[in-house]
Amino acid sequence: MPGQPLLEVRDLSKRFAMRGGREPSPWIIQDLSFSVADGEFLTIIGPSGAGKTTLLNVIAQIDTASGGEVRYQSEVAPLGDAKALNPGLSCRIGYVTQEDNLLPWRTTIENVLFPLNVQRRLNPETRARAEMLIRTVGLAGFEHHYPHELSGGMRKRASLIRTLAYDPPIILMDEPFGALDAQTRLHLQEDLLRLWNLGRKTIVFVTHDIAEAIALGDRTLVLSRTPSRIAGEHVITIPRPRDIRGLMSHPEFGATYERIRAQVQ
Amino acid sequence: MTVHDSALDLPQGGPIKWRRHAVTAGRVALAVALVLAWKIGADVAGPLYIADPLKVLQRIVDDTLSGSLVRHTYVTLRLATIGFALGCLFGIALPFLLRRLPRLTNAVEPYIMASVGIPKYALVPLFILWFGIDDAPKLWLVGLLVFYPVFIAVFAGIRNVDRALINMARVVGASEATIAREVIWNSLLPFFFAALKIALPRAVSAAIIGEFLVGNEGLGYLIEHSRQNFDTTGVFEGIVVATALVLVINAVLVAVDRRYSAWRPTDRQMEL
Repeated sequence: MPGQPLLEVRDLSKRFAMRGGREPSPWIIQDLSFSVADGEFLTIIGPSGAGKTTLLNVIAQIDTASGGEVRYQSEVAPLGDAKALNPGLSCRIGYVTQEDNLLPWRTTIENVLFPLNVQRRLNPETRARAEMLIRTVGLAGFEHHYPHELSGGMRKRASLIRTLAYDPPIILMDEPFGALDAQTRLHLQEDLLRLWNLGRKTIVFVTHDIAEAIALGDRTLVLSRTPSRIAGEHVITIPRPRDIRGLMSHPEFGATYERIRAQVQ
Repeated sequence: MTVHDSALDLPQGGPIKWRRHAVTAGRVALAVALVLAWKIGADVAGPLYIADPLKVLQRIVDDTLSGSLVRHTYVTLRLATIGFALGCLFGIALPFLLRRLPRLTNAVEPYIMASVGIPKYALVPLFILWFGIDDAPKLWLVGLLVFYPVFIAVFAGIRNVDRALINMARVVGASEATIAREVIWNSLLPFFFAALKIALPRAVSAAIIGEFLVGNEGLGYLIEHSRQNFDTTGVFEGIVVATALVLVINAVLVAVDRRYSAWRPTDRQMEL
């Protein structure tokens, strides 16, 4: 299934700036390299504090890198200078963050349409697509509610489809289901797989949950503790469409889980 | 946190409608008591010191019909409005400008904060010296008194904006202008409305004080001119109308605030 690499991370390094003449801060990421193929669902797993969010921030270009490069197709993004950053790479990289980051003064529908609005791409066709997404994740009837009137799971769904609605070629996801209860989490994972099956976007999904990484991904990368590097790579061959609830009993699941667990320190 | 309202301490389970009527009745009773105290005070102190409320009411009606009170009110309202608009304009624009120039901000911030301490009313003689005796010195006074609370609130509001929301907006392709209008402006609206609650009554007060000193029209002129002629009823007339003006402005502000804060859960939860 993997074709040409759509996104390539090469020798990426990151440390935060020194403050007031003190010792330089330690490396968060050092010489990290990997690539993502077009249409691939890549999951990245690592212990907490391994610089996973920092990595996604650098790829999304809302943070600078101290060394290395990120290539989109063959285009090299300038990462050294904060002023030269191009957050979201001209709307080609979507980013679903840990927090839902919904605009609290906007209703669900306004939040979902916000990217299309600012990109001046709101037309009957894109609006219909957004409304379809709202129905698909069960937010119908809550279009005109404000974020504080929604449950945590509903806010997550709104945040997820806000990014899907404007259809960027690559979507980064930073533990989007981390703070949810097990049941809601399972529902959202199923929603995500169903949505992914509709469009087969390229997804880079960061998590600290091994089962989630296996359940969702075509391939899983294991990050080491800081400074983070790639500690292992696992191709998940469990056929799709996958039944997340019955996944534990799949013969491949247990072995893959054990191999990954041995690498996650 | 809320002010304890005695009307709300009625036995639990009592009909809410009845409680609300009790609050209204209490308010009316308090108003009647205040007017009564005013009337008694006037009778005791004599008309030179405290004007009789009925005579003040009579005067307000007469001067409204003759048009002179309308003219005074219009002049003061116009002065307060233009001064308020200017103060708001600079109080909002300057923080947004400084946001783009962090080094300049660091350089000028201590000076701006120190200048908060200058008593603005003390500057009026200078304003008269510099800007003459037309509207200009009064506009400076009103403008400055509005500028500071608005500037400080907007400045603090901008610093308080959630960086994650700005990053989200950037990633989805929002321009800097869109971010300023949609994310930053909406985030700081609660700060801005808090500032307006101070700035709006101040604008009216500053206009009146400006009129004490310069000019021959406006509520401030009416109050001061009446005092010079030992016309205490005229003084009270001006005070009552000025107070009513501030109350009306505040009511409008509360209504506007409520409309723009509909998305916030806080207000309604605080009520009971």
